[in-house]
Amino acid sequence: MNILKRALPYLGAAVVAFLVAGIFIALMGYDPIKAYATIFGTSFKTPYGFIQTILKWIPLTLQALAFTIPFATGKYNIGGEGQMIAGAIGATAAGILLADLPIYFLLPLEILAGIIAGALWGLVPAYLLFQFKINEILTTVLFNFIAFNLIDYVATGPWSDPTAGHPTTIAVGEGGFLPNILTSQPLNAGVLIALAVAVGVYIYTNRTVSGYELVATGANPKASRAHGINTRVQFLLALVLGAAVAGLSGAIEVAGTHHRLIEGLQSNFLLLGLIIGLIAAGNNMAVPFVAFFIAILEVGARAMQRTMQIPVEMVFIVEALLLIFILLSNVVRRRKA
Amino acid sequence: MGNQHVIEMKGINKQFGSITALKNVDFFLPTGEICGLLGGNGAGKTTLMNILYGLYRQDAGQVYMDGKLINIQSPKDSLAHGIGMVHQHFLQIVNYSVIENIVLGADVKHPFTSNLAPEKQKINELCTRFGLELDPEATIGSLPVGTRQKVEILKALFRGIKVLILDEPTTSLTPQEVDSLFQSLKVMVKEGLSIVFITHKLREVLSVCNSISVLREGRNVISLDRKSAAEEELVKAMVGEKLDVKKSIIFSKGKYQTVNPKYRDAPIFNTSNLSYINSDKVKVLKDISIDLYMNEVLGIAGVAGNGQHELVEVIMNIQQPTSGHIRFSGEEFTGKPTRLIWENGLVYIPEDRLDDGFLPKASVAHNLILGFHNTSAYSRKGFLNWKSVFSKSRQMIEEYNIKTAGPDEMGSNLSGGNIQRVMIARVFSQNSRMLVAHNPTRGLDIPSTDFVYQKILEKKKEGMSTLLITEDLDELMLICDRIAILYKGEIVGVLAKKEFEKYRIGRLMSGFRDVDSKTKREG
Repeated sequence: MNILKRALPYLGAAVVAFLVAGIFIALMGYDPIKAYATIFGTSFKTPYGFIQTILKWIPLTLQALAFTIPFATGKYNIGGEGQMIAGAIGATAAGILLADLPIYFLLPLEILAGIIAGALWGLVPAYLLFQFKINEILTTVLFNFIAFNLIDYVATGPWSDPTAGHPTTIAVGEGGFLPNILTSQPLNAGVLIALAVAVGVYIYTNRTVSGYELVATGANPKASRAHGINTRVQFLLALVLGAAVAGLSGAIEVAGTHHRLIEGLQSNFLLLGLIIGLIAAGNNMAVPFVAFFIAILEVGARAMQRTMQIPVEMVFIVEALLLIFILLSNVVRRRKA
Repeated sequence: MGNQHVIEMKGINKQFGSITALKNVDFFLPTGEICGLLGGNGAGKTTLMNILYGLYRQDAGQVYMDGKLINIQSPKDSLAHGIGMVHQHFLQIVNYSVIENIVLGADVKHPFTSNLAPEKQKINELCTRFGLELDPEATIGSLPVGTRQKVEILKALFRGIKVLILDEPTTSLTPQEVDSLFQSLKVMVKEGLSIVFITHKLREVLSVCNSISVLREGRNVISLDRKSAAEEELVKAMVGEKLDVKKSIIFSKGKYQTVNPKYRDAPIFNTSNLSYINSDKVKVLKDISIDLYMNEVLGIAGVAGNGQHELVEVIMNIQQPTSGHIRFSGEEFTGKPTRLIWENGLVYIPEDRLDDGFLPKASVAHNLILGFHNTSAYSRKGFLNWKSVFSKSRQMIEEYNIKTAGPDEMGSNLSGGNIQRVMIARVFSQNSRMLVAHNPTRGLDIPSTDFVYQKILEKKKEGMSTLLITEDLDELMLICDRIAILYKGEIVGVLAKKEFEKYRIGRLMSGFRDVDSKTKREG
């Protein structure tokens, strides 16, 4: 009852968003019903479609959490893709340098290197905020640009694979591949890691003292300080935690999907992560579900482009409309209250 | 009726969301009189007068002036009808002079030059006529609160008003300033003005008003003439049946059961030469040395803004002192992290609940354990024990009469009075040894205020010591064992209970040290 009541405005916003987007699709001369059937059908018609959706879900969930964890304290991490790149580079470095190690050493080391590299990438902006009160939005965004150049350098540098035709490194050692968990489909164990992280974040914010302090800091930093919470440390911690999760998403892309560093592997996961985090209104428990929904849209959009020649950007429009209508419904509810 | 009443408000209704602020309220202001509008916090006094002044619109009801129906849409309309209001919080520009503040927004004779000579003359005339002494050229920021209030009254008089509304005008005044305000009010009435005096203090109404109207929970209770007003009747009208007047602390006139502080033992808490220089390089605390004993309630009196806020923040180590020491139960507490201060049993009710006392975006349970969340009562090995948090929360909600749907309701749904109750419940929930309470009864109605006093005194009996910081002299004189007076960041005197005398404290509050003040201890 309570959950339904809370979900209702979101469902309403989704319906309106699809209606409006449907009008655009119709105006462009396509059949909106067929388009939506493709979008929503692709993920469930074939096992392959479903697996593709899950594979999309992994980085989307992690990127969204990289945003929502600091967001709980009222801080904005817009550096998810830079941290993801740093994580991917860290994982690749471990995977190439230690390529001969067996899987039970190499894989954990590789993932850990990704997490640490992401965390370090987030630590610099976090420390600048902690020590000098420099706005974290600015610094996290700027660190994305540094990461773009860094990945260019690494992918074209000493480890580069000259045969690839695109800035790419050589593959990591085979012990650094995330194993598949299904025999019939290419679903790697990254999904288990992402699930564990989502559950872990939920437990952390809802069950632990440190998570309580995180929530309290976000609810009112001044009151938290007056009651003995070191809010500056909370800001730092939350930003670094978020960055670590983003770094993990980069490591999973390397270890699970590409098995090497590819320039551009960050895709548009940052933006989608922000959208997911905002639609979930910062609620960590809602993030995996919203991420799954967006993953369906993303996978469906590619299929729609292939079969109906509707530009894939149409899905961006749907996602943007979704966000706008959900934010609007929040405003309407607040007015009523 | 005719012109017997300058203002008649009839059948006024006002609803804020689901809360009924005023229900069918009538109010009559007799011409040329001071009418006291009496009631506890949340009774609807200010709302009613804000409607008369045009800040709110009534949902139903009419306003008549001199027998004629008038339609007030905004303060502009009410000023045009000659109705002015002085709010509790002054609307003044601190770096402008008195005269500039007064003429701001009014028509001036020379609008294109800053020649304010004619206005200055008018203001001087008004000052002499109404016995309001002040220098029109002084900068607002340099004036004490009492004088700034005179400026606010002059602002209204300058606009030629006939009806003046004063909202809790005595809140930040010393007793001397209150007397001088009352003098001026009497002169104004003689000159033909009619005045509405909003207050929750019975004594003030009895000393200055000609007629009295009492509101409670948004409804009329009684309206009567000063001559026929009996104090007991008014008390009953204000508080209703909810409070047992005989058992209350507020109406006990100080005659309640209590214990004496342990002055023979070493103080449980003391500060020595505590100083604090703020970020603007202003020394806001100067060598503060206070002792607090077991079972003692020590009051800090003073007009707001004399360093009270900084003093409590330095004690709780939210701001670090520039020099000096704080000791608590024999241990050095200077520079101790706030978290450890709480966990060692020194707890704090912040002055401004919305600013630094409450988490609106977290649940009631989150709020009730704030500050103690890391203690064994609520957590183990870094994990919160929500089961004990919830059972303790339910217990507190019950005991402190917090109106909420339950421990998991969002804090933002609570009303101001209930938020204050959450903060009160929080500090009393653990067996703390010392409480720093800054305006603990702000915004509470009379029964709730009385409840807070009872709790403080009950805990005092159990051995707790309290540092009570408030502007409310009545509150301090009622429940404190000693009162220290803070003026411009300095303790200018400490009085023991038998030395409590309103005017003496008032003199100290304005910075006149009295020569025979000794920090004598009782017992």
